[in-house]
Amino acid sequence: MERTLDQINQRIAKGQVRVWTALEAKAKLATLGLQEAFEQVDVITTGTFEPMESSGAIVNLGHTDPPIKIRQAWLNGVPAYAGFGAVDLYLGAAQPSEQADQAYGGGHVIADLVAGKRVHLRAIGQVTDCYPRADYETTLTRDQLNQFYLFNPRNAYQNFIVGVNGGDRPLYTYLGLLEPHLGNAVYSNPGELSPLLNDPLLRRVGIGSRIFLGGGIGYVAWEGTQHFPLQKRLPNQTPIGPAATLALIGDAKQMQAEWVRGCYFRNYGPSLMLGVGIPIPILAPADLEAIAIRDEELVAPVIDFSIPRRVRPTFGLVSYAQLKSGQITLNGRKVRTAPLASLRRSMQVAEILKQWIESGQFTLTQPVAPLPLDREFLSQNPLT
Amino acid sequence: MRKRVTLIFPRHLVNVPLTYRLAKDFDVAANIVRARVAPNEVGTLVVELSGDIDQVEAGLEWVQSLGIEVTERAKEIQIDPDLCVDCGLCTGVCPTEALKISAPNWKLEFSRNRCVMCEQCVATCPVGAISTSL
Repeated sequence: MERTLDQINQRIAKGQVRVWTALEAKAKLATLGLQEAFEQVDVITTGTFEPMESSGAIVNLGHTDPPIKIRQAWLNGVPAYAGFGAVDLYLGAAQPSEQADQAYGGGHVIADLVAGKRVHLRAIGQVTDCYPRADYETTLTRDQLNQFYLFNPRNAYQNFIVGVNGGDRPLYTYLGLLEPHLGNAVYSNPGELSPLLNDPLLRRVGIGSRIFLGGGIGYVAWEGTQHFPLQKRLPNQTPIGPAATLALIGDAKQMQAEWVRGCYFRNYGPSLMLGVGIPIPILAPADLEAIAIRDEELVAPVIDFSIPRRVRPTFGLVSYAQLKSGQITLNGRKVRTAPLASLRRSMQVAEILKQWIESGQFTLTQPVAPLPLDREFLSQNPLT
Repeated sequence: MRKRVTLIFPRHLVNVPLTYRLAKDFDVAANIVRARVAPNEVGTLVVELSGDIDQVEAGLEWVQSLGIEVTERAKEIQIDPDLCVDCGLCTGVCPTEALKISAPNWKLEFSRNRCVMCEQCVATCPVGAISTSL
């Protein structure tokens, strides 16, 4: 017995759809067989809320009179890329402010706009016959922008690493402060809650999948940068480290401040915390095999950041159950672990997406193309 | 009774065996929560005093008579619930586990009485939700 996505959408339209969050599903699958569970559920919702620095916003400002072809622009002092359409900008989440406050960056500007705040724009134009204006300065809210959408090159990492510091000085990293002598360990993936760990071989999530993005509606646009589905996998098909990634797109005018938050890592830089929720349609009992996988059966590599090289030494693999217990054992020593993804908010994203589907305001889309499963992970090397 | 106070003492008083005298003369136990003594600076000592209520007050009067400033308005960690996203990053740098996060709710919990005011969490918090206040 199988079912189609159309049948699920018909159930949504009739208010009869049966949705479990990933966490609810895992609890039920502990006692139910796959076939039994399949007969009780149509959709599983997943969620994460974590820093995703490979994010950014496309902004179209509307034309000034006389018009300007912007070549350099700053939003609240944060440089935005302007090397394309005359009043198109791309604002990267990890771009720091050029003003004194280095803790403020592109992620904060995006969050401020989503929160409805006014943002200062300074722009320098290239004067041409059709674009005579040389510079422009104003303040804007998101309502005054033609387009304001997130277009994130790499989000929703299928799995990630655990950072530690085996050296003798503190390290300030994208995982926050790593204390010397293995003083702490930081993990940033929510493990069993993680969207793509619930669809490890990307059978149901693909290009065109409709998702929860920042409290609004978004879509899977493409494979993410550094998409690496060929990562080594456990017998349960889940990857043992960073693997698949997604490029996501969504209208930031509809997003909510609660799910789009600027953040800053001391001595590293600004970033953006983002809520991403992905529904997984259950079309066959076999889809529930991966849903049933728990934190005990998901692993991540522990990486020593004290050697700042492309390939860093590893302390081997630990399970997400160990990570979430609050401590792991490395070299016979107990090391405290701390999450970086908000597990609380990850669960909330899955809950909200569940409500959206149950209330009929969110239907599922059939991917228009699959995500590739054969991407290599190439490195950059200088000419020899 | 238990009472947490901050003692600010001039440099020439750092040699006073404060906790010993409080214990011996007043029968007051002084648990040092936090101490900061740097060259050419005033010293700061956060202590939790426990003992008979009159004895604690008498002990504090004696401390003040030495020229040590006693304040009950201790600097404390404040967490803004509107800003905190319960990521838990701060729990990894908290040396006393005053900040904790765990299953099943994964909500950040702060035990004020375990906090030693090292302020590591203030700089670590990625969303600026933690501050110190008097």
